[in-house]
Amino acid sequence: MNEILAGLYQGFGVALDPMNLMYVIIGCFSGTLIGALPGIGPINGVAILLPIAYSAGLPPESALILLAGIYYGAEYGGRISSILLNVPGDAGAVFTTLDGNPMAKRGEAGRALSLSAIASFVGGTIAVVLMTLFGPLLASVAIHFNPSDYVALMIFAFTCLASLVGKNPVKTLLAAVMGLMIASIGIDANTGVARFTFGIPDILAGVDFLVIVIGLFGMGELITLVEQQATGKLQILPVGKSFVSLKDLAVVKWTILRCSLLGFFIGVLPGTGASVASAVAYGTEKRIAGKSGENFGNGDIRGLAAPESANNSSAGGAMVPMLTLGIPGSGTTAILLGALLLFNITPGPLMFTQHSEIAWGLIASMYIGNIALLVINLPLVGFFAKLLTIPQKYLTPLIAVLAFIGVYSVVSNPFDLYMIIGLGVFGWLIRKIGFSLAPVILGVVLGNLFEDNLRRALSISGGDWMILIDSGRSIVIYILTALILFLPPLFSRIKAGIQKPAEAAAR
Amino acid sequence: MADKIFGYIALAISIGYGFIAFTIIKAPFQYDPLGPETWPQILSVVAALCSLYIIFLPDRIHLKILGSTLRRVVIVVVLLSAYAYLFEPLGFVLATILFCGVMSKMLGASRLEAGLFGVASGVLGYGLCAGLLDLNLPGGALFKALGG
Repeated sequence: MNEILAGLYQGFGVALDPMNLMYVIIGCFSGTLIGALPGIGPINGVAILLPIAYSAGLPPESALILLAGIYYGAEYGGRISSILLNVPGDAGAVFTTLDGNPMAKRGEAGRALSLSAIASFVGGTIAVVLMTLFGPLLASVAIHFNPSDYVALMIFAFTCLASLVGKNPVKTLLAAVMGLMIASIGIDANTGVARFTFGIPDILAGVDFLVIVIGLFGMGELITLVEQQATGKLQILPVGKSFVSLKDLAVVKWTILRCSLLGFFIGVLPGTGASVASAVAYGTEKRIAGKSGENFGNGDIRGLAAPESANNSSAGGAMVPMLTLGIPGSGTTAILLGALLLFNITPGPLMFTQHSEIAWGLIASMYIGNIALLVINLPLVGFFAKLLTIPQKYLTPLIAVLAFIGVYSVVSNPFDLYMIIGLGVFGWLIRKIGFSLAPVILGVVLGNLFEDNLRRALSISGGDWMILIDSGRSIVIYILTALILFLPPLFSRIKAGIQKPAEAAAR
Repeated sequence: MADKIFGYIALAISIGYGFIAFTIIKAPFQYDPLGPETWPQILSVVAALCSLYIIFLPDRIHLKILGSTLRRVVIVVVLLSAYAYLFEPLGFVLATILFCGVMSKMLGASRLEAGLFGVASGVLGYGLCAGLLDLNLPGGALFKALGG
């Protein structure tokens, strides 16, 4: 406990530094702004702005504070376009549209926006508190992990990804393996052998992480926006004067609390972020509401509060494995992890001792950021709503300009400008056929860690593969992996089994 | 159908990747039992199995890309490539004015709007990023002409 208090003391020292305080607020503000823009979610926002934050010469803790602010700020802002436009910024905001938009149609947009702001705030704050408590704890356990435990963790991470993210597990797995394959390009650090470079000098050191991120998420998004542009005019609903009442809060208080906890733990699972958290939260609340939940989908305030509190708390939860294990909890934290690697900081169990100013500074900044977001969002929601009227014809070229600035200012190599265009087309295409891009980026980020640990483990054993299931810890992790793999299909089968007789009885 | 085609492409890539991993990659001397080739070998096998699964059990998706949409996407890619091509020689300001002008025009802005938007994003973008944030952007032809 003392350790946590000392850490928080140090963290607030970092976060309350005037410059860092400014970065928290800039990050939260621009995050809300990015989240509010239709069609652009947290992952695209962080991807586009990462190289600019990197090459502006910020110290690592400030850059991470800024980018994290953009991340949870965008989770916050995503609700604005979901509610007012019925256009979710990303998959995590889809469930906000279900009840948020019907409320806005009834003329209660103000009520929906303020209620969801409070739900987001509570979710975010609970997540930071849990992060403060569990982060150091997990780090102190993880410090004893040996390479074969890490291999087990990686297998766990990719299993979570495959079984929980996306519709088709095989496609998700293939996407992740593609990411791992991309990561294997370049010179092998152990032996100095060049792999898959085909004699191209530009990729001897590997394909630049920034180029992959900006290509897949920046350019890919841009092409998607252009593609969707012709599909009719969007109707923006007025915000109005209605506001959340204490009675509303009394109705949703348990919903918010439950979903915040749920969101946090789903966020902690490697690879599963806001999209899974909000889906599970919405489904759970609907089931708990039972008979009174018939209104879900037609503007029930519980149906709005559930996904909003869950997606914000999952953003905090996703940072826990990133900081303590070096395994990102979501697609966006994979990009944050890549950002830390750019600064030559390898996140892992030693983060809390070796780079405590970064770990604790980030945590402290999230306390401040959540309050800042609430303050920004309640009165300024009308201003952000106006932003929705920024026409696509201006927004789309600006994304390209930002992406170009980002890549050029970091790498200064015109070859990479063509690379991001190519990756953008690739990202757009594979999204069209039902792949999600987050697993690719997780694969890219985790590739080296996975391979290094596997090779290190086998070096220890002299080539005996049995070392992978040698320790108690790794066996526990493999059991968890099996649970993740087999429980969800089992649950849905049981559920289907219960529903069928019930339906038959209803007839 | 689209799924199947993609499955075949992915299979081809994983076979090519696997071929290199199994035959070409070799370390002259190595200290660890796995060496640089084992990991890519594992990856290629997993990727090939996933591709085979997709080929034999494809999802039914109708890849709806209308002709007009496809044309717009192609135009955007061409515009982006032109922007990349001109980025260094013309410099950020001029290239951005051209790109933003043409692109916003294509997306439905009037000629005046497109022109104003292009100039604004080129000049303000350079001022903000190169001036205020001190990022490295190409000055290019414009500044060479001004500087003599």
